[in-house]
Amino acid sequence: MALTLKELRIFKGSALLLSLDVTVEKGEILTVMGPSGSGKSTLLQAIAGHLDTPFSFSGSILIDGTNLASKPPHRRGVGVMFQDALLFEHMTVEQNIMFAIPSAKYQTKSRKRDAVAKLLHAVELEGMQHRVVTTLSGGQQSRISLLRTLAAEPQAVLLDEPFSKLDTALRQQIREWTFTQLRERNIPALLVTHDNADAVSAGGQTIELSSC
Amino acid sequence: MLVIAGSAYAEPSVDGNDIAIPGPGANPNTYANTSPKTSPKTDPNPVVRLHAWGGSAQVNSYLKWVADRVERKHGITLKHVKLADTSDAVSRVLAEKAAGNLNNGSVDLIWINGENFAAMKKNALLATGWVTDIANFALTNPSNNSAMVTDFGEPTLGMEAPWGKASMVFYYRKAHFDSFNEPVPQTLQALLQFSQQQPGRFTYPVVTDYLGISFIKYAAIALNSSNQSLFYSPVTQKSLEKITPSLWAYLDALHPTMWRNGEYMVRQASQLQRLIGNGELSLAFSFTAAEIPSAVERFDLPRDVRTFAMSDGSLANVHFIGLTFNSPNQAAAKTVVNFLLSPEAQAKKQRLQVWGDDTVLDTSVLSASQKSMFETQQSHPSALDKSQSTPLYAEPHASWTDALRQAWEERYGARY
Amino acid sequence: MSNFNSQSKPQSKPQSKNRNRSFGQGHFNRITVWAKWLLLCLLIIPVVAGVVGVFLPAMGYFPAIGAEQFDFRVFAALFDVAGIHRMMWLSLFTGVVATVIAALFAFVLLSVFYRSQMLSRLQIVLSPFLVLPHAGAAIALVFLLSPSGFFARLFTFDSSAIASTNEGVFLFDSYGISIILALVLKEIPFILLMAISVMSQPLIQEKINGYFKAGTALGYSPIAIFFKLVLPVVFPQIRLPLLAVLVFAVSNVEIPLILGPNDPSTLAVAILHWFNHIDLSMRLQASSAAVVQVGIAVFAVIVMLAVEKGIIFYGKKWLQRGKRHAATDKAISATAYLLLVAYVVLVVSAVYTLVAFSFAKQWTFPNIIPADVTMLHWNTVFDAVLTPLSNTVLLGVSVSFSALVLVLLTLESEPLNAAKTRASLLLPTALFLPLLVPGVAFLYGLVWFQQLILKDAVWFHVYVAHMVYVIPYVYLSLAVAYRKFDNRYVMVALSLGKSPMEVFFFVKLPLLIGPILVAFALGLAISFSQYLPTLLTTGGAISTVTTEAVALAAGSSARLSAAYVVIQAVMPLCGFGLAWWLSNILFKPSTNTRSTNKSNTGKSVRSV
Repeated sequence: MALTLKELRIFKGSALLLSLDVTVEKGEILTVMGPSGSGKSTLLQAIAGHLDTPFSFSGSILIDGTNLASKPPHRRGVGVMFQDALLFEHMTVEQNIMFAIPSAKYQTKSRKRDAVAKLLHAVELEGMQHRVVTTLSGGQQSRISLLRTLAAEPQAVLLDEPFSKLDTALRQQIREWTFTQLRERNIPALLVTHDNADAVSAGGQTIELSSC
Repeated sequence: MLVIAGSAYAEPSVDGNDIAIPGPGANPNTYANTSPKTSPKTDPNPVVRLHAWGGSAQVNSYLKWVADRVERKHGITLKHVKLADTSDAVSRVLAEKAAGNLNNGSVDLIWINGENFAAMKKNALLATGWVTDIANFALTNPSNNSAMVTDFGEPTLGMEAPWGKASMVFYYRKAHFDSFNEPVPQTLQALLQFSQQQPGRFTYPVVTDYLGISFIKYAAIALNSSNQSLFYSPVTQKSLEKITPSLWAYLDALHPTMWRNGEYMVRQASQLQRLIGNGELSLAFSFTAAEIPSAVERFDLPRDVRTFAMSDGSLANVHFIGLTFNSPNQAAAKTVVNFLLSPEAQAKKQRLQVWGDDTVLDTSVLSASQKSMFETQQSHPSALDKSQSTPLYAEPHASWTDALRQAWEERYGARY
Repeated sequence: MSNFNSQSKPQSKPQSKNRNRSFGQGHFNRITVWAKWLLLCLLIIPVVAGVVGVFLPAMGYFPAIGAEQFDFRVFAALFDVAGIHRMMWLSLFTGVVATVIAALFAFVLLSVFYRSQMLSRLQIVLSPFLVLPHAGAAIALVFLLSPSGFFARLFTFDSSAIASTNEGVFLFDSYGISIILALVLKEIPFILLMAISVMSQPLIQEKINGYFKAGTALGYSPIAIFFKLVLPVVFPQIRLPLLAVLVFAVSNVEIPLILGPNDPSTLAVAILHWFNHIDLSMRLQASSAAVVQVGIAVFAVIVMLAVEKGIIFYGKKWLQRGKRHAATDKAISATAYLLLVAYVVLVVSAVYTLVAFSFAKQWTFPNIIPADVTMLHWNTVFDAVLTPLSNTVLLGVSVSFSALVLVLLTLESEPLNAAKTRASLLLPTALFLPLLVPGVAFLYGLVWFQQLILKDAVWFHVYVAHMVYVIPYVYLSLAVAYRKFDNRYVMVALSLGKSPMEVFFFVKLPLLIGPILVAFALGLAISFSQYLPTLLTTGGAISTVTTEAVALAAGSSARLSAAYVVIQAVMPLCGFGLAWWLSNILFKPSTNTRSTNKSNTGKSVRSV
């Protein structure tokens, strides 16, 4: 499942904001860096399907050759992670993750539960299923958010400065976990960040955007 | 509190069980298709809709009792449609007639007198000549009591049956008068003198209210005792000009001494009672003597309230029940009216604890057993002492009401 | 409450090839767009129909009485009616003065409390006045301020004194001061709460915080900062709601009816009287007066806007002078605290007086405590109030609930990531239309049309009339919450593969349940307090607690009237209490699962 941005040009009104032509192979992480206003978030919105006036784009966004432009946002299979974990506060940890699991995947609820338990184990958060999300620390929330994103089995993942709110000590660990999980599942990812260390850790291509 | 022209006592509905109809701003053209729920002649359980002012708790519960009795005795369902103003029902029937609805009206019986009757008579909105069919009508002794067939000077022509009597009574706060050390005024002139001595203790409602215009009529008649006959024929420009000078002289002197200097006048009679109750007025008046003791019992008036009738004369009238021309339930409606005129119903109505409205039956034609139903009850200190008889003024011709009202408004400004 | 300038969200537009916003083909999206148009219709059609319905008779066209020709003499004849000019002036004067004073006082209160914790307490103290219907507030004031009222009794020390009117009392006064007082007391909380909700919007809050820091560094006190820096930012956002307050003040019926003069009264009261007149030809005069009433409202709006321009002009000069105003700060502070005390005193006195009267036996002037208590009045009321109460609740719940659904769907129809550029003005205009056109004007016309269509469907007609007033408030209230909502939750949920409908029901709704319940309670309160709409559209066939209360306000029993006001006050409070309670138990994770951790139930997102 490669993510291809073919001659993608993003406009604000009639002004060209950015122009990209790149392919992210599966398991690869493309880092996009640049100053504020250079359109990084807009790029992610374009791929996720949330672009609106005054923005528009030309070119195509493809996953494994299929053009995403014809699909509504919820059918694109593109996961998004933001700076904030954005866990749903009216659901417990387990419910947050189960919300993401495709409904047809497991026949019984107990199998679903087991899957969730396994995921939690992978990030050293066993036993947290019934915790209320607001009681979790920042690092814990980040990990749950990652699990949730992955549980939906996305074909590509967009990361909008996901580690910037974590303190440095935690940052590295969460980053490692995130990238490991993405690589293990062979998911192409697009990372937007300010931090060089993120780029280095991602180990993929890096694109510098300049402000127009 | 609804500001509406017309003759209602205008105290609003307190009993919430039936529907109330204040002034609608409706398009009259659409009254063509009102349909009662029952089909007129074949229905074994006819519904009779009595449109009557709903502002008095006593009247409402009395009518509930009546409904209960006619249900048991005759299987008729009597519905009391509560009005804040009788003229609304008159408008309704008028609109129905204009829309061509000749036998399926929404109003069967209507509690009216005075202007409203005159309006209905003029527009032929009432069935004629039906009252003599009512068995109990004979008990009112109409041949000896012209008041039973005359409404504000207009012959009723059998369009409406008498139901009860009312006369204007005054009431005051004894504690206040004791502290003023003033005698309680017994005549109109004495009232003016009292008001001049103690300003701000008396007022009357705006002339669009029934009680307000009644005060004006009383004053007009009392001040023109030599020309009283003029009031009993239709008003003319000449007769109006003859009686107004003394009236205006009186009112010009009275208004500045009234409550709030006569600048603000209460919109409804019920507010007079409220002001007596909270002590801002010392003297007020009413057409329903019975409501005063019952207000005292409900704690809305203090115990030192006393009722009396002016010695120079009290405006008095009979109130009636009319049957509409387009009622689909005429037979059942007549049965209800017959019950209303029965000694049983009239006696109950006269009881102070129930309503206290005087009967229209002439005791001289009642049998002993019928008479016994009208036992006198113990009197209440705040009630009118009926053993004293005072002169009564019959209501002037209906045309005088509008004429006086207009003249008053021209002189003193319309009050909304 | 929401900003209706160019920064509001644009309408859904047909997609050009290169925009990939939320797709219009989805079921959910289609439903939301339908809901939006239904909402717009519900707002626009009744008002426009109503205005046409009074405009035509004003021009002489009234077939019901045979007037089939347009005749401008009808309109001209209005100006010959005695006292008409005074009525017009009274309406204008009381409305404008009341609004200006209310706005000033609201700003004074804000300037003193906007940075302190007192603000939330202020909201609590003022809220009872806010949800009490205008009629109830007016009646309460009469109980307090009349010569035999509570305050008079407090200050009369001679136990044999007699209540006397002619010593400078201002209820029913010819200048309308009593009307102004009642309006001011009722509108200050509304203006204040609107300003607070504007100021709590994230973008504006940031700006205010920034300005505050900058201003403090420059040596200005918080009060000075409010008037010089914050108000200019906030005022444009509350301009429309302020104008709605102004139009209401100029054209409302309940308050002048209950405590205004009648020599003459305000124009609105006269209109009511003329429309109800048995002589149908008075309808023409009434319609002309209604048109004039609209004109007065327009004129008042123009005056207000001109005053604003003037203040801006002189304000700029004032800002340049750079005075720090230490002395006036104290005066403003004192005024604010006085106001607060006044409100507390009023609320406490009103509650005491009304409750005491409802239980009182004999209670003569000047006693402060009734002679004895009884349940008689409440028993009478309970017998009588069952039908009006059930009507009120049924109507309120159905109106508020359907308004809520429509508003939610309409808000959902707006795109997720809307850039804040040129806004379509249709929705904001439509929202304020019912609030900017005097009710006494368009309601009669609306009734005329309603009688033409389904004459007997009174419930439908009163439902529509209530919707017209409830929708704007529910919308404004929810729009604030929507504006504050972090839309990234939606993006995340969509990215997890959930359809827009699933996202709405499983993510957005639960997270917004607090504001949704508050909006519902607000809709209930608005519906409960409607007087003219209920009275006119049903012709009195359906009575509600408010119509009964107004009727009883002039009734002979002060005690029954007091009981009804108590009911009027309790009902909306119950609504809000229910909303608060439900928001604490619905959609809480710990209620659904067996949690071993007794953790707090998160509330931050609900008020993001």
